[in-house]
Amino acid sequence: MLITLKDVYKIYGEGLESEVRALDGVSLDIDYGEFVAIAGQSGSGKSTMMNVLGCLDIPTYGDYFLAGKDVSELSDKQLSHIRNKQIGFIFQGYNLIASLNAVENVELPLIYQGVSPFDRRDMAMEALERVGLAGRAKHLPSEMSGGQQQRVAIARAIAAHPPIIMADEPTGALDSKTGQEVLGFLQQLNREGSTILLITHDNGIAATAKRIVRLSDGRIIEDHAQEVDWT
Amino acid sequence: MKLGQAFKMAVKSILAKKGRSFLTMLGIIIGIASVMTIVATVDGYNRKMMEAFEAQGTNKITVSLSLNSGESGFKKIYDYCMGIEEAIGVTPSAEMEGTIKYGAKTSDTMEWKDRPRVVLGSDQYSLCSSFTVARGRDLCSLDIEKYRQVCVLGARAAKTMFDYADPLYQNLMINGVPFQVVGVYAEKDANSGYSMDSVVVLPYTATRFLPNADNGNSGECVVKVRDSQSINKVLTSLQAYIDSLTQNGERGWGYAWSEQQWQEESNSMLTMISVVLGGIAGISLLVGGIGIMNIMLVTVTERTREIGIRRAIGAERSSIVTQFLVESAMICGVGGIIGIVIGYGGTNLAGKVLFEGMSLYPSPTITLEAFAFSVSLGILFGMYPAIKASGLQPVVALRSE
Repeated sequence: MLITLKDVYKIYGEGLESEVRALDGVSLDIDYGEFVAIAGQSGSGKSTMMNVLGCLDIPTYGDYFLAGKDVSELSDKQLSHIRNKQIGFIFQGYNLIASLNAVENVELPLIYQGVSPFDRRDMAMEALERVGLAGRAKHLPSEMSGGQQQRVAIARAIAAHPPIIMADEPTGALDSKTGQEVLGFLQQLNREGSTILLITHDNGIAATAKRIVRLSDGRIIEDHAQEVDWT
Repeated sequence: MKLGQAFKMAVKSILAKKGRSFLTMLGIIIGIASVMTIVATVDGYNRKMMEAFEAQGTNKITVSLSLNSGESGFKKIYDYCMGIEEAIGVTPSAEMEGTIKYGAKTSDTMEWKDRPRVVLGSDQYSLCSSFTVARGRDLCSLDIEKYRQVCVLGARAAKTMFDYADPLYQNLMINGVPFQVVGVYAEKDANSGYSMDSVVVLPYTATRFLPNADNGNSGECVVKVRDSQSINKVLTSLQAYIDSLTQNGERGWGYAWSEQQWQEESNSMLTMISVVLGGIAGISLLVGGIGIMNIMLVTVTERTREIGIRRAIGAERSSIVTQFLVESAMICGVGGIIGIVIGYGGTNLAGKVLFEGMSLYPSPTITLEAFAFSVSLGILFGMYPAIKASGLQPVVALRSE
């Protein structure tokens, strides 16, 4: 298994009256090469789930094994390396650095991997080409449309060719046509072997995934695989 | 992450906020510029003093000895110094009130700073006071023995008394008594107001012709010592000799001192001045450093989201620390460079205004030290903001607006 969650809790303000259980005893297995949609209403705990799965946050209780390794035993430095090399994040709201242009944003994960400037530029341009934005490499995020910014964010996520892609509402701020394009990329990456985790509140988008995990109030209420037609 | 990359990021981020970066640098600029100017000015003052000391003649001991018995103090000292190997010359050095006249010119009507001074010396006067003869001859031992009415002029005295006339073999009237000019000393102290070059040196024995003149009984004299290492030894033995002659004040009065002592005193005073001024400049640097810290904290807060993004896509804590440390070190480094440039200007100006056009520049060592200091200031005061930035939890940082 690539990802194993065993009885994971994420509790804010534990013991207080205002205690919030963002994850309330979640167990989940995800295998290599899956395309999983994690669906649920806002407040259902799906973003917390992505933060935990993406090693951005640590669970209050429970175990998380990533490729067989217990994440709770890894140092901050090791977690940084995992985020850097194993996982490509596509955040809700793009999260591009405003002062850097498109290609510089795409280069970021490569910088922290220590890739030489020359190779870095090549890899970043290649990723931008894949999302069809090679001509906009020198534009600042503020000079691009939402769809273009989202594609830059995708290019950044795939530039280092990570085996896992995690996308949090990647189509949230886009019109349906651009949204379809973005989904198309993710499907393409999955066909090439990447494991995709797609977090969405939109049932229509969740329906395009090979497997749907539905969350409500921090619990998994539905988990089923389905046949998809990605043509 | 490589350091070169951190440098690129720092340049970018500093250039993105030019106005703010410059204001932040201002504290460092002022601090470094004033430190450089202060250090160089003190240095220039020191050099000026050294020049003055050297013009006076180095390795000298000034002695004054007056005995109740009426014996010549100079004679006693002279005889005693004969027995000291390190003492290479002795001369009386008393100055005498006197009116000097040549033709219609008289020293009485001159301003004090132009007025030639009558000095009673021996044939070793030029050796003791580091004069060299430019024209004619020096005083010789026969002049002393035979009470010759001759004199040797300092360059400035020759100029004030004779202007374009040739002073050699002319007669100067000193208190109405003629003295023939036999030589002129080379100029050695062009800048000073109260000039060494204003002397008119007479053989001390010739004072028998001058009413009211000191014939060496006051015992003011100068002992020239071979080298600076010997000064203290000779000084101690002279002091002991004087004490034995005067019986601690019962039979006369006397002292011996060297300019080295005076120099040491003035050096310690200079050190004190530079410590005080340096302290003030140091405080301004400290304030500048706190300004850097303040701005870096603001920068970290402003860029919390950026830090979150960087952490989320794999930046280690140390990369974040490096990024912000390099940025604050660079702000201070650039401020330091601007400060150094202004410091060079200030130093040059100080040389022109305070030291009569002395060409004064900070030493390369000070320049390098100033630069290194400003960079370390940036690292020191950037430390806390950088560590604060790196301690942000990625999730929390990402959530911030």
